[in-house]
Amino acid sequence: MEKVKDALDFTDFSGVERFVLVVFSIFLLAFPWLGAGSFVKAVMIQFLLFSLFGMGWNTIGGYGGQVELGKAQYVGIGAYTVSVSMVWWNIPFWISMPIGVLIALGYSFMIGYPLFRLKGHYFAIATICTSLVLQDIFTNWKLVGAAKGIELPIHEHPDFLYMQFKSDTYYYYFIMVLFYIALFYMNWFRKSKLGYQLRMIKDDEEAAESLGIDIRWCKIKAYSIASAFVAVGGGFMAVYNLYIDPVSVMDLDLSIKIALMAMLGGAASLWGPIIGAAFLVPLDRFLGSWLGGHKGLIGVDFMIYAALIMVVSAYQPRGIWGIVEQLRGKGK
Amino acid sequence: MAFLEVHDIVKDFGGLVANSNVSFQIEEGEIVGLIGPNGAGKTTLFNCIVGYYSPDYGKVMFKGNDITGFKPFQTNQAGIGRTFQIMKVTTGMTVVENIMVGAFCRTNSRHQAREEAHEMLHFLGMEEISEQYINELPIAKQRKVGMARALATKPQLLMLDEVASGLNHTETDEMVALLKRLNVEKKITLFLIEHIMEMVMTVSQRVIVLDGGIKIAEGVPGDIVKDDNVIKAYLGEKYAKGR
Repeated sequence: MEKVKDALDFTDFSGVERFVLVVFSIFLLAFPWLGAGSFVKAVMIQFLLFSLFGMGWNTIGGYGGQVELGKAQYVGIGAYTVSVSMVWWNIPFWISMPIGVLIALGYSFMIGYPLFRLKGHYFAIATICTSLVLQDIFTNWKLVGAAKGIELPIHEHPDFLYMQFKSDTYYYYFIMVLFYIALFYMNWFRKSKLGYQLRMIKDDEEAAESLGIDIRWCKIKAYSIASAFVAVGGGFMAVYNLYIDPVSVMDLDLSIKIALMAMLGGAASLWGPIIGAAFLVPLDRFLGSWLGGHKGLIGVDFMIYAALIMVVSAYQPRGIWGIVEQLRGKGK
Repeated sequence: MAFLEVHDIVKDFGGLVANSNVSFQIEEGEIVGLIGPNGAGKTTLFNCIVGYYSPDYGKVMFKGNDITGFKPFQTNQAGIGRTFQIMKVTTGMTVVENIMVGAFCRTNSRHQAREEAHEMLHFLGMEEISEQYINELPIAKQRKVGMARALATKPQLLMLDEVASGLNHTETDEMVALLKRLNVEKKITLFLIEHIMEMVMTVSQRVIVLDGGIKIAEGVPGDIVKDDNVIKAYLGEKYAKGR
């Protein structure tokens, strides 16, 4: 009960921030009734999904300061668990999704244990490698469709158990609920024992050790929490897109986007990943569809947001949120 | 059984022997100083006890338990706190948050941790800096934050690495008073490395002297300053002979 109270406790934020949160929440609730087109709706769903990914990444990457570039493998685990169990055994989403999270958790402990012997860049490189290896395995694994991927069976009637709906609105509200669960969890997490310990590890590892903190175990725990978050998102991607393949759910591109959105918005802040996703997802989508239509301009969108990221990280490493705090005179 | 027993510690950095068969004991409630010229192996000895290094040979016993080869977080949980000679200047957390991290060593509740951190700030008389960041503080205050967060882990033995270096006269006097208060009010055993002779001689009840990784003397401060080996180590052979 106390945990719920702590999770809903936003009192240490300024009045403006709380006001924006309320307005933003009303907007999110009302959004499907504002008459937006299907493209905009799809962008909104992407935005909520990537906010969820980013908030998960923020535990280890932001608060823990461990640059992690392999989150796509857990998106893949979540998505494949849901798809495979639906295609093979006709298992409902509400059972397969938690199973996917559990598998992601188990796998993240297995990967995290050896990985956290490494630090800094070496850790970042190793996370990329493990993700690429898993993607290669799935690309060549005939049983799960190899490079062709898996198509989910489409039900004739909308089915809540299998999360199959005719209208995007239902998916929208579902991902919105997940988004809020993640937001409240992160609000609890940032002031939890583990949250503080991670921030200490980020600041000064040697001192953290002298304060009774088992550094490696803390990092593994945070890494697993992040993995569970993205596995939930992966499960959602499977039922939303009704088709997954190793490129759409396990690509390096996805890992990097997850990390960059959180970093661009402001790592180690509650709003950072949301701001980052609000900025990059539409940019990515609109630029992608606009530039992608012109011959010779494919890939320019990637260049544009790579440049944006370089500018932000050179000017204010704490991201967009860091700039906002600086302008308000709160920054250091 | 003594409170802290160190037996025959040897630490060899590939030919450079930093500690060579160092043995000593500390009783509960004592204030013990560890002195020696630069490069005598004082910090290495600290690190061997706390667990940043594992000694090549020897044994460390704390309250009757063998803690040799424990990791730093384990020795801390066992009840040994330590501060660092060089406090890393960080920008990520406020003073009170730093101390809360220490308090989280013994509690899972964020409310209790915050309460304890504020109590600690009150005890050390630095409530006014609780919301500042370490990089905004003068060095004497930074040291105190380092001590405060180590104290928040509720150690029974506190090991202080050059806690007075870089402090001016008044600040040093304040530090001496604080150490005595910790010892008397909080019943914490203190073990400190110190360069400033005046300080170590006033605060310590007993002094251990290291030189070249070897323990050359041990005793009450009054005897130590007259010890021939100690004078030799600090002032050179010539001075000791000509005396």
